[in-house]
Amino acid sequence: MAVRPIRVYPDPILKQPCAVIDHCDASADALLQDLIDTMLDSGHSVGVAAPQIGDSRRAVVVDVSKSKLGRDNNHGLLTMINPQIIDREGTHTMREGCMSVPDYTGNVERAQSVVVQFTDRDGCERVIRTTGFEAVAIQHELDHLDGLLFLDRVSSLKSDVFRRKG
Amino acid sequence: MQHFALTIIGRDRPGIVSQVTEILYRTGCNIADSSCSILGGQFAMILIIAHSEIADRDGFCGAFLPLEETGLSVFLRTLKPGGEKHPHMEGEICLISVYGSDKPGIVYRVSRELGERQVNITDLNTKLIGTEQRPVYVMMLEAVLPPTMEIDEISRIMNNLKNELQVDISVRSITPVEL
Repeated sequence: MAVRPIRVYPDPILKQPCAVIDHCDASADALLQDLIDTMLDSGHSVGVAAPQIGDSRRAVVVDVSKSKLGRDNNHGLLTMINPQIIDREGTHTMREGCMSVPDYTGNVERAQSVVVQFTDRDGCERVIRTTGFEAVAIQHELDHLDGLLFLDRVSSLKSDVFRRKG
Repeated sequence: MQHFALTIIGRDRPGIVSQVTEILYRTGCNIADSSCSILGGQFAMILIIAHSEIADRDGFCGAFLPLEETGLSVFLRTLKPGGEKHPHMEGEICLISVYGSDKPGIVYRVSRELGERQVNITDLNTKLIGTEQRPVYVMMLEAVLPPTMEIDEISRIMNNLKNELQVDISVRSITPVEL
């Protein structure tokens, strides 16, 4: 287990589509642990995708349960291998920022509710329906797996200095 | 690097941005920050520019004169050190939208309530819409609350103004989420 440095744009890995993980083996498990360690270490992050720590495989972790916006509506710590959104509903706009694009935020329209299919850390196939902030966070992290940054989806930009909040 | 604030305004037409940025490019200026928009029939450009050698306005030696000659107004302000840096602001960010039939003092009354409470307006747009007979005023502003102030408090204050001004006002949080 290790906290890994967050890759920052223009690091080319952030713009590459990631590869499907064929086997939930020890190496995939180690990647998930690194993602969790890195997310926890940042203190304020609610999700990290593999390319953000320099690994081009389809894995993300999301946990909005400790954030003000997600605390009342979440699935706790989600570890996702090969996640895929299989249904989306409604729209919801939030001003998003990203650790890989520091000091910049933009208004992004996402689905309000999504159904996500993925393999979890134990190798189990899971399907969850999620809404609100957790749904936004998942869509943001899944975009990273396709080489997309929130800058590819913004309708307006604002410069902003992130406040380091718990 | 010396930084300058450059504002340019003039009757809108195609080609203003390229005319301005060609001069900046040829003089060796960097555009650090900018916002440009059409207001009424005028195109307005506000830019923070930087130059590694030019230290004051005279250093530009009339580089912007060709703009004036095509009917644009140009204003250049030399920034004090650090004047180009975005200040660090701690509090919640909210978007306040105000709309209703046009009457004098809408912007003033709303901004006075905010200013008196140290709420910092960071973005403001207003527009007159509707028909000539029934004009409607729309104002959208973004503001950073002082660290101790909650959104509810500003909502309450704006609610009181609603009755006084007979307009609709809504307040919502737009504090960015870092993902």
